[in-house]
Amino acid sequence: MGKMVNLKIDGKDVRVDEGLNLIEAAAAAGVHVPNLCYMKGMKGVGACRLCLVEVEGGKAPVIACNTKVKDGMVVATKTDRVQEVRKFVLDLILSMHPLDCMTCTKAGVCTLQQYAYDFDIKESSFTRKKFGYPTDQANPFIKRDPEYCVLCSRCVRVCKAQGTNVLEFSGRGVGAKVVTAQDRPLQESGCTFCGSCVDACPVNALLEADRSRKGREWEYEKVDSVCLSCGSACGITVSSKDGEVVKISSAASEGAAEKYICAIGRFGFDSLNSEARLRTPMKRVNGELRDTSWEDALATVAEKLKAADGEAGFVSTANILNEDALALKKLAADVVKTKNYDSSVTLYADYDSLKGGSADLDKADLFVLAGTAPDQWARVLPALDAVIRKRVSEGGAKLLVINSGDPKIASAASAVLKGEEIAMIEQLAQAVISKGVKAPKEMVSALAHVDPSDAAMAAADLFVAAKSPVVLAAPSLYKAAANLSLIKEEAVSVPFEANARGVVLMGLVSEGKKFKEMLSSRSKALYVIGEVPVDKRPDTDFLVVQNSHMTDLATQADVVLPSTAALESDGTIVDYLGRVKEVRCTIGAASGTKSHADIFAEVAGAMGSAVKKGKEADVKKALKAKTKAAFSPFKREKDLDVDGERFIEAINKSTINGSRLLWLKESEKGVLA
Amino acid sequence: MKDNTVVRVCMGPAGIAAGGKAVLEAFRETLADRNIDAEVKEHCSSHQVGCLGLCARDVLVEIGRNGSKTSYQYVKPDMVGRIVAEHIVGGTPVKEWLVDETFDTFYRKQVKIVLADCGRVDPEDIDSYIAAGGYEPTREVLMTWIPDDVIEEIRMSGIRGRGGAGFPTGLKWELARRSKGDVKYVICNADEGDPGAFMDRAVIEGNPHSVIEGMLIGAFAIGANKGYVYIRAEYPLAVERLKLAIKQAYERRFLGRAIFNTQFSFDIEIRLGAGAFVCGEETALIASIEGERGMPRSKPPFPVNRGLWQRPTVINNVETLANVPYIIRKGWAWYASYGTEKSKGTKVFALTGKIRNQGLIEVPMGITLGEIIHEIGGGIEGNRALKAVQTGGPSGGCIPAGMLDLNVDYESLAKAGSIVGSGGMIVLDEDNCMVNMAKYFIQFTQAESCGKCVPCRVGTKRLLEILTRITEGQGKEGDIERLERLSRGVKTASLCGLGQTAPNPVLSNLRYFREEFETHIRDKKCPAKVCKKLLRYSILEEYCKGCGACMKACPADAISGDKKKPHRINPDRCIRCGACFEACKFKSVARD
Repeated sequence: MGKMVNLKIDGKDVRVDEGLNLIEAAAAAGVHVPNLCYMKGMKGVGACRLCLVEVEGGKAPVIACNTKVKDGMVVATKTDRVQEVRKFVLDLILSMHPLDCMTCTKAGVCTLQQYAYDFDIKESSFTRKKFGYPTDQANPFIKRDPEYCVLCSRCVRVCKAQGTNVLEFSGRGVGAKVVTAQDRPLQESGCTFCGSCVDACPVNALLEADRSRKGREWEYEKVDSVCLSCGSACGITVSSKDGEVVKISSAASEGAAEKYICAIGRFGFDSLNSEARLRTPMKRVNGELRDTSWEDALATVAEKLKAADGEAGFVSTANILNEDALALKKLAADVVKTKNYDSSVTLYADYDSLKGGSADLDKADLFVLAGTAPDQWARVLPALDAVIRKRVSEGGAKLLVINSGDPKIASAASAVLKGEEIAMIEQLAQAVISKGVKAPKEMVSALAHVDPSDAAMAAADLFVAAKSPVVLAAPSLYKAAANLSLIKEEAVSVPFEANARGVVLMGLVSEGKKFKEMLSSRSKALYVIGEVPVDKRPDTDFLVVQNSHMTDLATQADVVLPSTAALESDGTIVDYLGRVKEVRCTIGAASGTKSHADIFAEVAGAMGSAVKKGKEADVKKALKAKTKAAFSPFKREKDLDVDGERFIEAINKSTINGSRLLWLKESEKGVLA
Repeated sequence: MKDNTVVRVCMGPAGIAAGGKAVLEAFRETLADRNIDAEVKEHCSSHQVGCLGLCARDVLVEIGRNGSKTSYQYVKPDMVGRIVAEHIVGGTPVKEWLVDETFDTFYRKQVKIVLADCGRVDPEDIDSYIAAGGYEPTREVLMTWIPDDVIEEIRMSGIRGRGGAGFPTGLKWELARRSKGDVKYVICNADEGDPGAFMDRAVIEGNPHSVIEGMLIGAFAIGANKGYVYIRAEYPLAVERLKLAIKQAYERRFLGRAIFNTQFSFDIEIRLGAGAFVCGEETALIASIEGERGMPRSKPPFPVNRGLWQRPTVINNVETLANVPYIIRKGWAWYASYGTEKSKGTKVFALTGKIRNQGLIEVPMGITLGEIIHEIGGGIEGNRALKAVQTGGPSGGCIPAGMLDLNVDYESLAKAGSIVGSGGMIVLDEDNCMVNMAKYFIQFTQAESCGKCVPCRVGTKRLLEILTRITEGQGKEGDIERLERLSRGVKTASLCGLGQTAPNPVLSNLRYFREEFETHIRDKKCPAKVCKKLLRYSILEEYCKGCGACMKACPADAISGDKKKPHRINPDRCIRCGACFEACKFKSVARD
């Protein structure tokens, strides 16, 4: 926390952090300063002129968005003079804006509508004009209607800040317009369809393409949850109406760097009702999968698991919830009594790398990306890519990239150490130590032979200068990279799946065969949970697939158990930063489906044992097990390198193929071809 | 024939337009002719120089000999032979081609400081500038002064920003010097864009090294090692001469590392503006140099604290910087001896419009408008009545003819509802319509608004709509009040100087010429007979001879009539082009 200052806003005394602008300070005093272009966490640009306020002693009104608080300041936000200016500005805006609030989807959440109401402006006192621009609705994600645009530039700035850089102004004066390069449709402009611009738009100029006549925002039921599509595990707000999801947006608080979700998180919900959705258990009879009852399916599974006699295997996605993982562990270890239970985590991480570390991305002033290469365009941990770029462009943070390849994010970096990652980490650590920074003795001696390059020495300056560096490492490099956190601040390992850390902490840590081994060796029974990157039936006598959607693997199974999809059950996960996040059921289980944990309990029941659904207390207990940071040799964990893009696409196959994302995938292919 | 003879041909913008290049070549060719005495050849040289000032009489040629000079006006290449033969060789000037007494009155009240060497030195020859004392101030400053001395000198001189805003230059430099930062910048704003203004262009084209020197001294004062000249691409000759000047300055090591063998180094780069008026606004200019779209940023932070790439930056106008070496050379007290208490020194104006002596003038601050118009300017063309003087371009306003006693300085002009501005001075006579004038400037600002903030983007458009309808006979009762309300709103609420001053031409015209607006709105008449749609053409039957000239001239077939009988104009077909009015020899076409 910085210094605090005291000021008076509209007669109210308020004490706020030094460095806040007057809009935030006023908000702290319970006063709303009207604005259309301000975005918390970003620099005020002063485009809309609505936030003009008067500061005692000042000659002219100042814009609150770009005026910092000072001790003893006396601010008036509602003087006749500024209210007149606001009314004037709104009057001008409304002279170029459709007055069709009665059919406008944005009604109720449109800021312009709100202010027109507040200032009692029924219509503009000036001659009304239309821009006459065409609408861009050539894609199924975002509808851009410049006719409604108030040119606040929020979309332009948000797109720039996160590095996608698709939108910009063209033209001058009243002919100014927000455009893509060459004014091409979005899909031809490098847009990733993350929809950040949609969240930023204060009016109806940018909207989800399918929202028309699907209800207004006040009719929606809104629940905060978590997107489980990848390791970013973004907070989402799910809006639903009549039991159907109609909209998903970022749940991160205004101004947080994490205010971002990608196209999968925002638009993948179509797949909840896709054709591939499973709604009844299935069983192979005479070589053919046929619908059957839960009772029959569970009995069959129970029988086969018993018969496997401890030689059964369980492989699960790491997208299941903590509660599911606890139940699975009990089923496998206590009821089926096998040592073979694992998650897809071991395809890209060692268990230890997922047990510790934490970081505050909003506070970090240096990001060190060790081997991990988030990429919005390839949809590999896109949110992390956006967060880092935003912190660099708006928050003044620096980025240091350590990578043997040429990741796209290197374009935002202050320094890049290109080369074999372990060698680069060693050089960086040694360079930092050589600049007189203290490090543990073992580390100093382990690095004695290392002679840092000039590039490493320059990169080390960034590390030395940083107050809160955060090392974000690919799991295989985590132990080596985490040594840097012994010198200063934090390090975390960045897995590809949302609850990778959770499933490990919940004990889904195999004492027998690991994921890969179970798939490559013969088994008597194999139980596959969730969408895992496996298409071909492994060599097993009996295959159970438990998933929300029919997959290639499921078509080859002996029994298929229909589970709830994401957004359909309650529970918790642990994200890569170690935060426990609540995943909340938003629309209830689809008919015929059961949650993973419930199915595990019922399988146990069918086997004559009881497995209680994991409770909050159990999760908490499991979370207590934390490892203490200690020096580890500078070594890479072996056989953990996977192609992030292919992996994430594989675990989201049903989502992508069952939603409008398929259009995006195909259009991208078209562009590439 | 012992004294050297120097021929100076005006190659300022107007000089070139009038054919200066051909005149210069004619002199060179004639002087090189084998029939010319070798001794004459040896002692006579011809040069191109920057604007000599009286553009209306271009091409101007000055012949200097024995410390005196003789000037010729309206010189054409075919006149050169005689001038050389009679004047240079023969020693007797060609009397009928010499400038008349107007020339003396044009220069008598002018004080040339920033333009002192403009018209003297060859802008493409650094030696010519050095011979005139150039780079001596820089040498002295770098070798014997400390930065604080420079700032004090400039502060005491009282010079204020010549770009229009009039911010004290010394204070700006001091703020930038005190601002913390390891890297600082000096930017020369050469994005001159006001309609009718060509002061900065003339300075750069006439004496580019003075600008480079000003930047050098400024950079030394604030601690900058890098400078940019942001110049509009529409000034190709200025760009070319500046490039050449920078190249020559590097060759002489006046730019680059260890200048005059001191610790000081300074580099200059040129950045071309792409034709956006708003890029003359300092924060938009910075954005443009940074490679962003040229849109203004809100202040604070001011450029002296966080400017180009977030570093402390001083942005000075061309004329301001070009004054600096002369202030250093002759001292602040000398400079401050010109001007008024609060507006020191001189100001360059581009005198244009309905004035006899159109041209580039430099006058001491505080001179009266009357002195400029009637003495320097030689009065109004065609003996018509002066109506007003527009100063400050699209950010300024009009001073009515009744206020010729007004002193031309920052305070007085502001009080009268206009501004000094960058130096455009447009003289208007009774044929200029003040509503149309306001419309013209709003049209300009409306088109040049960047579109970032609402009041300027939409407000100027609405102003233009109202002004347009008034000039087209669609004015409504209450439009004047609407204009006033809109103007006030746009002024108060706009983000940058462009919007904050855009309504000034409207407000000042309303202040002094309200009746003219009212006549347009209520009577649907344009007293100056400028607003086409308000004009009515008719044929005065008693004077019409039925010659048919008007009928032939009419492009719209609006005139009918039999030969030798009075003709008629069909008002529904008339497009009010005025062709009949011009064509009639008997003054029988009435226009009102």
